[in-house]
Amino acid sequence: MPRPSPLGLLLVAPALALVAALFLYPLGFSLVAAFTAEGQPTLRHFEKAFELYATDIRFTIFIVLFSTVLIALISIAIAGVLTLSETPWLIATLRWLYRWPLFIPFIVAAQCMRTFLAKNGLMNNTLVAAGVLEPLQAQSFLDWRGIVITFVWKQVPFVTLMLAGAMASLDRATIEAGRNLGASRLRVLVELVLPQVSQTLLVGLVLSFVTMLSVLSVPMMVAGSQPTMLTVDMAFRINAYGDYATANALGVISYAMTAVVAWIYLRHQVRREAEA
Amino acid sequence: MIRTLPATLVKALALALFAFLLFGPLANLVLWSVAERWYAPFKLPVTYGLRYWEVVFRPTGDAMSSLATSVAIAGLTVLVALLVSVPAGYALARLKLPARTLIMIMFLLPQAFPSVAIYINVARIFYQFGLAGTVTGVVLVHAAHGLVYSVWIAAAAFAAVDRDLELAARNMGASPLRTFATITLPLAAPGIMASAIFVFLESLDEFTGTFFVGVPQVTTLPLLLYSASMGGNYQIASITALILLVPSVLFMMVIERFLRADVLSKVGQ
Amino acid sequence: MDRFDARSSRPERSAEPGPTFVRRHGGSRIGLRPSGMTLVGAALLASASALAWPAYAQQTLNVATAGDQNMVDYVKDYLGPMFEKTHPGVKVNAVGTGPGDAGSQKIYEKLDAQKKGGAAKSDFDVIVIHQKAAGAMVKEGLLERYTDKIPTGALATRDTAKNALGAEVSGYVMPMFHSQTAIAYNADMVKNPPNSYPELVEWVKKNPKQFGYNGIKGGMSGVAFVAGWVAAFGGDGAKLEKGPYDPNDKAKWDKALADLKEFNKNAVITPGNAGTLDMLNRGEIAMGPVWVDMFYTWMADGKLPPNMKLKLVSPGMPGQPMYYAVPAKANEKLAQEFVALATSPEVQAEGIVKRFNWYPGIDAKNLEGKLDQAAWKKLFADISPEDLQSKGKPFPIAPYFNDILEAYERKVAN
Repeated sequence: MPRPSPLGLLLVAPALALVAALFLYPLGFSLVAAFTAEGQPTLRHFEKAFELYATDIRFTIFIVLFSTVLIALISIAIAGVLTLSETPWLIATLRWLYRWPLFIPFIVAAQCMRTFLAKNGLMNNTLVAAGVLEPLQAQSFLDWRGIVITFVWKQVPFVTLMLAGAMASLDRATIEAGRNLGASRLRVLVELVLPQVSQTLLVGLVLSFVTMLSVLSVPMMVAGSQPTMLTVDMAFRINAYGDYATANALGVISYAMTAVVAWIYLRHQVRREAEA
Repeated sequence: MIRTLPATLVKALALALFAFLLFGPLANLVLWSVAERWYAPFKLPVTYGLRYWEVVFRPTGDAMSSLATSVAIAGLTVLVALLVSVPAGYALARLKLPARTLIMIMFLLPQAFPSVAIYINVARIFYQFGLAGTVTGVVLVHAAHGLVYSVWIAAAAFAAVDRDLELAARNMGASPLRTFATITLPLAAPGIMASAIFVFLESLDEFTGTFFVGVPQVTTLPLLLYSASMGGNYQIASITALILLVPSVLFMMVIERFLRADVLSKVGQ
Repeated sequence: MDRFDARSSRPERSAEPGPTFVRRHGGSRIGLRPSGMTLVGAALLASASALAWPAYAQQTLNVATAGDQNMVDYVKDYLGPMFEKTHPGVKVNAVGTGPGDAGSQKIYEKLDAQKKGGAAKSDFDVIVIHQKAAGAMVKEGLLERYTDKIPTGALATRDTAKNALGAEVSGYVMPMFHSQTAIAYNADMVKNPPNSYPELVEWVKKNPKQFGYNGIKGGMSGVAFVAGWVAAFGGDGAKLEKGPYDPNDKAKWDKALADLKEFNKNAVITPGNAGTLDMLNRGEIAMGPVWVDMFYTWMADGKLPPNMKLKLVSPGMPGQPMYYAVPAKANEKLAQEFVALATSPEVQAEGIVKRFNWYPGIDAKNLEGKLDQAAWKKLFADISPEDLQSKGKPFPIAPYFNDILEAYERKVAN
C-alpha cells in the first residue's frame, strides 16, 4: 500500500475545516456543559437524564430502529420492482410517484400527518367513504405509530433513490442469467441483487437513522408527549427550565446512539477494504 | 381468490394503494391551502377560497422576497459545499488517507447532533466575527450541515471514474492537473451535480440555523413556515410549503439529467 | 444611526486572520484554526453582496415576536405601517420566533449570544416575549429600563406588569395583551360543562377519552391545566402565586399528582397547544384546555365548529401577558416610541380587542370610550369580567413552577 498522501490531506482540509469550525468547535461547548457543573467535572446531568428520561431513551431507540427496518424493507421492495419488473407502465408510474416526499420538509410532513392519520382524519374518512372501514373501527394513529409512519414516508424516497440507482448500475447479465435458470424475481432480488448493493443500502440507512434521531418537529407535532423522543425532551429542558446541562447530556446520549451506528458502518468498511 | 385476479389488476391496485399513502398527506396540504372553513363533522372543507393565498402574498407580507433569499442561499450553499467537496471527494476516492473512514464519519456528525445547542454557540462565535446577520454566515452554517451529502457523493463520483482513462491521458503526456481538469472532473461531474439536490433541499428546509445566524437581517421562507406550522396555522403553513415545493421540484428536474446510476451505487464507500 | 452603513463595514472584520478566532476563546482548547472557513467566507463575500440586503430605509426598527404567526402579522400589517406613517424614513421589520416559551427562549438565546459575542448593537430593537423569558432577561441585564420614559407607562398597573412569575420586572416590560387559559368545549356534545376541577374529574370519568390536553412538554395550555390542578388539589393555591417559596411544599402534591396520573388514563394526551385545538376541530375530543387568544384565532380562521364555547373552571386557571421589552443596546428612542404607540388606548382598543378579541394589556378602564359596546360584549361573551377577575390566576412563581413541572415528569409522565 502507498504511504499516506500529504496532497490528500491538503485537499480534504477545507471541507474538514468547515465541519470543525462550524460544528466540532461549537459542539465542544455543549460537551463541556454536559460534563461539568460549577466548573467541576461531574456526571450529575447524566444521572438526571437517565432518572427522568430512561423511558424516552428506550422509546427513541425503538422508534428509530423500527423505522429504519421498515425503511429498508420498503425501499428494497420499491427499488426491486423498479429494477426487476417487466411491466413498463408499472415502472414508469412508480418511478414518477415515489419521489415526492423527498421535497417535503419534516415539519410539513408532520403537519400533513397530524391531519391525515387522526381518528377523523383524511385517511380514515376516505377509507370509511370507500366502504373499507366501519366508522366505529376508525382509530387514531397519532402515537408512536404516527411518528414511525411519518419517518418512513419521508425517508423511503431518499433510500430508494440511492438504492434504485445502485441496482440500475449492476450487470444485467447476471440478473438475466438468474432469471433464465428459473429463479423467481424475489430470489433474484434477495440472492443476486441485494448483496451487490448492500453498501449503498447501509449508507442510506445510516443517514436516515441519524437524521431521524435529530428531528424535533415530527415527535412534537404528531404524537402526545408521554412517552416522547429525546429531541422533545431536550427542547423541553431548555424552554421550561433553561437547563442546558441536562439537555446537552441528552444530546450526548443521542450521540452515543449515532456512535453505535457509525461503528457498524466502520466495521463494514474495514471488512470491505480487507476483501478488496 | 386473489390468485384468480389478473396480474395487471393486482399491480394496479397495489400502485393505487401506494399512491394513496403517498399523496394522501399531500392532498391534505392542498386542501388546507384553499380551505377557508373546515371543522367537524365535515369531512371536507366547508368553504373554499383563496383568502389565505391573498394573505401570504399581501403587500406587507414578504413571502416573495423571503423566497428569493431562500433560493439564493440554497444556491450559494450548493456552491460552497461543492467547492470544498470536490477536492475532498477526490482525495477520499483516489488518494491514500490516514483514518479515511473516520474522516468520512466526521462529515456525518453535523447531521446527528440536535442542532439548537450547536447553533447557539455558532451564533456567539459569528457575533464576534461580524458574520451574524449576513448571508455568508447562513450559507456557511447550511453548507456544514449539508456537507455529508456532497462529500460522500463526490467521493463516490470520483471512485466511479475509470482509472484506465486517467492513465491513458497521463501516458500521452498530460500533467496530473490537466488530467483531472479534462478527464476526471468531467466524468465525475454528473454525480457531483446529483449531490447538489440533497444539499439544496437541506438548505431550503433549514430554519434553526437561519434564525440564530441570519435573523433579523436575513429571513427565509422556512422561518415563516416554522412559526405558522408550530402554531397550527394550517392554511398559511400549507401555502408556504407549496411555494417551497416549486424551487425544489424545478431544481430536481434540472439535476435529474445528471443522476447517474453508477455513481449512486458507490455512495459512502 | 444608519444601520446600512454599520452593516457594510462588517465584511472587513470577517476577514480577520484565523488566530484571533482561537485567541478570543482562550479558555477553551477545542478550537481549530478555521482557515478554510475564512477563506470560503472571503470567497463568498462577492456573491453575498451581490444578493443585496433587504432594501433598508435610512433606519430599521427590528421587532422580534415570540408567539403565533398572527402576532407577527399584527406588527407587520397593523403596527408597522402605522408607526412608519408617523416616522418617515423608518422601516419596521417584524420577525417571528415561533409559538410558546420556545419562541421566547430563542430570543433570549440570541440576545445572550449577542452579549457574549460582544456585538455593538442589538439585532432586535423591540421584543415580544413571555413571562418566563422576561424574568431571566431582566436578571441577566439583557433588557433596558424604559416604561417610566413613555407616556403609556402608567396605564398598566396589574400585578403582571411588575412581576413575572415572581421575578421583579417592573420598569422593563409593557403588556401587549393578557391571555388566559380556559376549557374549550363543544356545546353540541357537552350540554352541561363542568364548573370546577372536581366536576371536571367526574365528567372525564363518565366520558372517557373525550377530554384532551397536551401534557407539559407540548406547550403552555397543558402546563396551565397542570398548574391549575396542583393549585386546586395540592393545597395552598395563593402561596404558589405569591410565595414565599418553600422547597418542601412539593411533597404535599403527591396525592394530587397520583390522582392526575389516574385522570390521564381517561384523558387524551394531545400533541401541543395547537394539537388540542386540532382534535377539537375534528371532533375527536369534546373538551380541552386552550389559550383564549388562540381559540379566537382558530374560530376566526374557520378551524373550529361554530358552537365551541369557553369555560373558566374554579378555583381558577392561570393566564399570562405577552410583554413588549427593549433589549440593551437597541435603538432606544425609536423602540420606546414604538411601544408607546402599541400600548396607547386607541391601538389597544382597535388592534388588540377589536381585531383579535384579546384582553387588553393596559388596564381596561383606559379603553372606556374607545370601544363600542358590541366589541366589549364579544370580548366577554363566554367568560364574564367577574369570572376573569376571580378565576383568572397568574402562573405559580418560578421555583414552584419548576417544581410542578419536574414533579409531573417524575410522578405522572414517568
